[in-house]
Amino acid sequence: MSEPGIESKPSAPPADYHFLVKRLHSLSGLVPIGAFLVIHLLTNARILAPGLVPGEEFQKGVDQIHGLGPMLLPVEIVFIFLPLLFHSLVGFQIMRTGKNNPRYYHYNSNIRYSLQRWTGVIAFFFIMYHVWQMHWFGEPIGGGKFDPEHAALSAAKAIQSVWWIAPIYAIGVVASVFHLTNGIWTSLITWGVTIKPRSQRAAGYVCATFGVIVALIGLGALNGFKRFGADTVIPKSSHTMAGESDRNVG
Amino acid sequence: MSTNDHHHDGHGGNGHGHSNERMVSVRVLRQENPHSGSHWESFEVPYEHGMNITTVLLRIAANPVTTDHHETTPIAYDSCCLEEVCGACTMVINDRVRQGCSALVENLLKDSPEGITLQPMTKFPVVRDLLVNRKPMFESLKKIKAWVHVDGYYDLGGGPRISQKEQEKAYPLSCCMTCGCCVEACPQFNDHSAFIGPAAISQAVLFNAHPTAKVDRDDRLAVLSGAGGITDCGNSQNCVKVCPKGIPLTDSIAQTGRDTTIYKFRQWFGR
Ligand code: HEM
Ligand code: SF4
Ligand code: SF4
Ligand code: FES
Repeated sequence: MSEPGIESKPSAPPADYHFLVKRLHSLSGLVPIGAFLVIHLLTNARILAPGLVPGEEFQKGVDQIHGLGPMLLPVEIVFIFLPLLFHSLVGFQIMRTGKNNPRYYHYNSNIRYSLQRWTGVIAFFFIMYHVWQMHWFGEPIGGGKFDPEHAALSAAKAIQSVWWIAPIYAIGVVASVFHLTNGIWTSLITWGVTIKPRSQRAAGYVCATFGVIVALIGLGALNGFKRFGADTVIPKSSHTMAGESDRNVG
Repeated sequence: MSTNDHHHDGHGGNGHGHSNERMVSVRVLRQENPHSGSHWESFEVPYEHGMNITTVLLRIAANPVTTDHHETTPIAYDSCCLEEVCGACTMVINDRVRQGCSALVENLLKDSPEGITLQPMTKFPVVRDLLVNRKPMFESLKKIKAWVHVDGYYDLGGGPRISQKEQEKAYPLSCCMTCGCCVEACPQFNDHSAFIGPAAISQAVLFNAHPTAKVDRDDRLAVLSGAGGITDCGNSQNCVKVCPKGIPLTDSIAQTGRDTTIYKFRQWFGR
């Protein structure tokens, strides 16, 4: 064993921020991005809640969020947009260092490795399109702009605008949820929480169950917007729909 | 490959000679030198009971004539122990990395009756034909100091005792023969990544657990938490599935994820 005083010193930490960046990539995927995704889909699912007026529950959820008033945009930028941008840029960089090979080694875990990359790319382009359409530009390429004052109706109009919007949203939602769920599973290894195959398998079941539930919530919400107005007669005097009541959808 | 019945085992059961011999078609990716291109060559080799890929390569060397009757050179390959212990004969057989000496032709043909393909590993520089230079792996082992550091020439006496439990954890890790299967199958180990690969990570875990080698623990963790270290693993878990020694590589990887996290937090926030 080493003699006192001459034991080997740890070499100076590498001058790069490699470890920090990778761990922040992992963390950002969980919170805030992953947490936001779940909350977002849960809020959307309130479109399914029966209320006095169609879409009332969903409108309440949106009102809560917009209760932040002028703080909403900075909060969105700091807690959603910037982390997502960071996670995506690092994600694309990570993809460049890998060579997918599920063709030759078709193990489940290897297929999930490839899917994690593909769903990341799908999520990226889907989120770009989604925000571009709902938040800023509205209709040019299908869809429509989201109007927080008429939350349910404007979202439903966007989803129902052209036939291919709902399938695109379904793909985007499923891809994002898979990415989050599988990401939770890998992050447990990344951080050294699940070490033995047995604990990793157990975590796999928990993550898969969680993923199926969140995906169903997301798809259920999508279906709610798709069918919104189809089997309900929107009351003319609805206060939430003020000014929109003459423009039915579907 | 001609379809003969499975009784044929070299004892010449029906005495009809060569025309009845069961032939195995073998395609080999050949490359003359490290800088030349590669091309495929096909061979027909008489089947022998219990033959492995090393036998196939020996038979081709004895009669290096391709299926279309071209004289060629014997195929260069590496081998040593012939019992899956040294890792020298590792190559890509029917698109999967494994050792040639333990790959039985009979079993290969069960999965792929059309024949057998042999390629050098793709993650290492090819020296010639199936012979590659596994230097990148040894460089990784150097980086993580995969040794017990003993200073001086004098007798240090007996080492510290290692409990039965520790031994049982260390033994499987110590079986690594640096064969390259794990890095060949690893999607994160390639020319555009600095990743040191799963074998080296597992060796670091082995030596960090050793009572004498522990002195270098922080050095190893510094490398493991740097560029090319643990964070380059993408958790595809191919490594553990292809390792012929059944080394629990993914346990080592997760353990290293935990150890480097603690090590880094200790560094950032001072002990
Ligand atoms: C819906 C939004 C997203 C969520 C919730 C999310 C979440 C996650 C999580 C939790 C992980 C696991 C990290 C780990 O293994 O430690 C992860 C990994 C990953 N993400 Fe995302 N992500 C999202 C969007 C994206 C986008 C847009 C990209 C861009 C390509 C991307 C690329 C990646 C990649 C490549 C990995 C694998 C990292 C590795 O193997 O080390 N993600 N993501
Ligand atoms: S860990 Fe297994 S596959 Fe990798 S080099 Fe060692 S013995 Fe070969
Ligand atoms: S688990 Fe990590 S080290 Fe093992 S094959 Fe996958 S990416 Fe490579
Ligand atoms: S010759 Fe040693 S492993 Fe095959």
